[in-house]
Amino acid sequence: MQNPDTIDRRAFVRLGAATGTLALAGCFGTEDENGTDADPDDDSGDEAGDGTGDDVTAAPELIEVEDPPEAVYVPTHREAMRMLEPIHEGDFALAPMLSYPHPFWVIAGGGDDDEVERVDPEDGRGVHMMFTLWDAETGIVLPVDEGAQLRVLRDGEPVGSPRSPWAMISQEMGFHFGDNVPLPEDGTYTVEVTVPSISTRKTGDLEGRLEQSETMTFEFVYDDEFRHEVVEGVEYLDEELWGQRGALEPMEHGHDGHDDHGGDDDHGDHDGHDDHDGHDDHDDHDDHDDHDDHDDHDDHDGHDDHDDHDDHDDHDDHDDHDDHDGHDDHGGHHVPYSALPRIEAYPGTRLVDPNADEVAVETSDLPRSGDAAVFATLLESGSRLADGDEGYLLVSPRTPYNRVPLADMSIVATVERDGEVVAEPALEQTLDDEYDLHYGASVEGVQPGDSVTIAFESPAQVARHMGYETAFLEMPPVELVVEEP
Amino acid sequence: MTLPDRSSLSRREYARALVAAGGVAALSACLGVDGNDGERDVPPGTSDPDALPERQHAWNEALETDADGNVRLPEHHVLVPLSLRDDPDEVASETTEDALRTLERAYEWSNDGLVFTVGYAPAYFDRFDESMPPSVDLPDPEALTDRESPEFDEFDAVIHLASDRPDVVLEAEEGLFGERETLNGVDVEATLADVFERIDDRRRTGFVGPGLPAERTDVSGVPESIPEEAPFFMGFRSGFRESQATEDRVTIDEGPFAGGTTQHVSSMDLQLEVWFEQDNHYQRVSKMFSPEHAEDDLVGEHGERLGATSGLTDERIEATSADARERGVVGHAQKAARAREDGDPLLLRRDFNTVDGDRPGLHFLSLQRGIDEFVRVREAMTGADLDVPFANNGIRHYIFVNRRGNFLIPPRPLRSLPSPDPDPT
Repeated sequence: MQNPDTIDRRAFVRLGAATGTLALAGCFGTEDENGTDADPDDDSGDEAGDGTGDDVTAAPELIEVEDPPEAVYVPTHREAMRMLEPIHEGDFALAPMLSYPHPFWVIAGGGDDDEVERVDPEDGRGVHMMFTLWDAETGIVLPVDEGAQLRVLRDGEPVGSPRSPWAMISQEMGFHFGDNVPLPEDGTYTVEVTVPSISTRKTGDLEGRLEQSETMTFEFVYDDEFRHEVVEGVEYLDEELWGQRGALEPMEHGHDGHDDHGGDDDHGDHDGHDDHDGHDDHDDHDDHDDHDDHDDHDDHDGHDDHDDHDDHDDHDDHDDHDDHDGHDDHGGHHVPYSALPRIEAYPGTRLVDPNADEVAVETSDLPRSGDAAVFATLLESGSRLADGDEGYLLVSPRTPYNRVPLADMSIVATVERDGEVVAEPALEQTLDDEYDLHYGASVEGVQPGDSVTIAFESPAQVARHMGYETAFLEMPPVELVVEEP
Repeated sequence: MTLPDRSSLSRREYARALVAAGGVAALSACLGVDGNDGERDVPPGTSDPDALPERQHAWNEALETDADGNVRLPEHHVLVPLSLRDDPDEVASETTEDALRTLERAYEWSNDGLVFTVGYAPAYFDRFDESMPPSVDLPDPEALTDRESPEFDEFDAVIHLASDRPDVVLEAEEGLFGERETLNGVDVEATLADVFERIDDRRRTGFVGPGLPAERTDVSGVPESIPEEAPFFMGFRSGFRESQATEDRVTIDEGPFAGGTTQHVSSMDLQLEVWFEQDNHYQRVSKMFSPEHAEDDLVGEHGERLGATSGLTDERIEATSADARERGVVGHAQKAARAREDGDPLLLRRDFNTVDGDRPGLHFLSLQRGIDEFVRVREAMTGADLDVPFANNGIRHYIFVNRRGNFLIPPRPLRSLPSPDPDPT
């Protein structure tokens, strides 16, 4: 397994300075107790000046990929976080997660520079507060922004103003809600989370559920031990991977991290749940090459040089938990990851890339727009998702490696036959217990051979963690054809 | 209530903190700061009741306007919640009227003097056997979205006091309750204390005006990045003449309360750190006005490019639902303007910011002919019909409603403990 200590941070700095490939910012954590390597000007933990004598900083050093590709890319590190015990109320279940404050990107609009803004954390104490929200019965992660609220309290008094956490996607956590939350000092905090009723179209077993707003409460302790855990728990990847097209694997959500405050032990738990040595540097490296192998846009050689299918099976293991209410089997501690079903799980007549040599087998083979993998299928008439006897056009855009749903987009499909437009439905964002988040519309008379252009009127209006911020912004239309039998 | 620490605040900040604190001690301190008690030059009022407009809410003619002709609200505001000691009778009504007339004699009806209204809640009218006439639309307050669970103002009445002078709003409040013997040289002969109790923990205070929000960065949750000149915490001008209903439009036009209006007051927290430190200016303009305002740079830093309008053409208002889909974001003003009738706004907003509770907020106060009109505008602002994620649905991501209250502001002749169905006067 990878021990974060095996990467000499000073070596990173030297390397960065020598090659000019790194952008260094933020504060420097140190591994010795005295913080002798820290730059006092950047030491945000001590800047609070409350004399608690921190021996760790509030956040680890931030090493960023300079000039990342306009695509999903591998960041420099895996975040560390503390998972708290999931809580249930009404139809909802929610798993809080806490990490150190870190940058993310918010979007309001089409993805031009002005419409996307990088959020840097404030100096001083605080956490990146996150939660995954899911339907308690089906285990479906609810990846839509309908206005959750967070209220942080200490000794019954509010800490700061209430906030609506951002809907976010991250490679490790998938879809979640989160924000950087400053904290005035060490101590025990209570967080009230109010989740709204879900007004997004719901189908299948979700129909009629999630209609009632609920409030749930959790507590956490912010202290040296927490900062040690999340700062020292960061795992830096081999530098060759930084900025490569690919993604970190989803984190293993199934372990009971609640009582494990020792950072190294947590990593042990992670490894224990993986069916491979996923945290070994070189295995990570291989994983990402594997992903790249599926990516037709990449010029990497070595197709089939690696055991691709093992990798994908590993990912599928995660999904199997999700698909079968695994959280119940784990004493309530399993947290589903927001992976959409694999493409073979969808019925109907596929819409395929007319220029592709063969039909996509994996999500990563699918046509891309803004590096989003675009899956589309035409469900036969009378499908439970369609109105009456009509067919149903189901479009499921997703992140290309981890199959995270891309929510809160606007999509229009244009169906053409012999050069004539025969239908132009605006697709409706829909949550289904079987097909999860997708965009769909009832359509009549669409036939094999028809061409269908999927146009993205606005890209996914969800905030992004590092590694997703350059993707899913400029999204040109994707032209597909209804597959002929 | 503890008085604010003089040493750590500028004179203006201190005066505002005193208004927030309220009470006799705050008033004394305020008079000490703002000049010599005996030699203040607060313009006096009138002893002729007929010299004042019949509508309590007729403020616009009396208030100053800015360079663009927009009404300039007084800078300092207090909402004084009142609970009746006993069921109303004629004596109580006369005492109330005498107390209110004292204010009118003491202070000019102006920014420099004092403007005020008295409003009555549905709970007040419930004390009577008679019911309200159909010409008045005054339902109990209720939650207006699934996302809020506000407390409700269930006391009897509220007085809204407003002046550019912090000492005047404080003094007026204390004088009403017999804590002062004279107000601006006028003897206090009647006190509301015989009729009402003040509900101290529901008292609300606030401020509005260029530069005032930026002076509140000492309060937790108010970031340094608020534009210096912004009149509101959200960083932009508001209350544009053409976005405001006229006083005529909000006036009840028939029945015994003709000449009155209804008042909705909601209090909410504002999440300014996220608004200013996470969103950028372009995004803020998109969310406050419309994405086209941002794209065409129509607003400027804090709205200085907008004159007497918020720049909402019919086209921009009609584009709201297309903007939701095609741009992924809609503006607050754009959305709410969809409720206009024949192009005319329904609400006359007189809201103000606050740091009550030591965190930034807004006391949203609007006048409209009937509460149903407020509800319609709020529904348009909620935008449940729009295909847009919550975070980009105007400013909803940043506001957290805590309280709601509805009040009837009767015409001046009926302002003192009216029955629900008074005889025509």
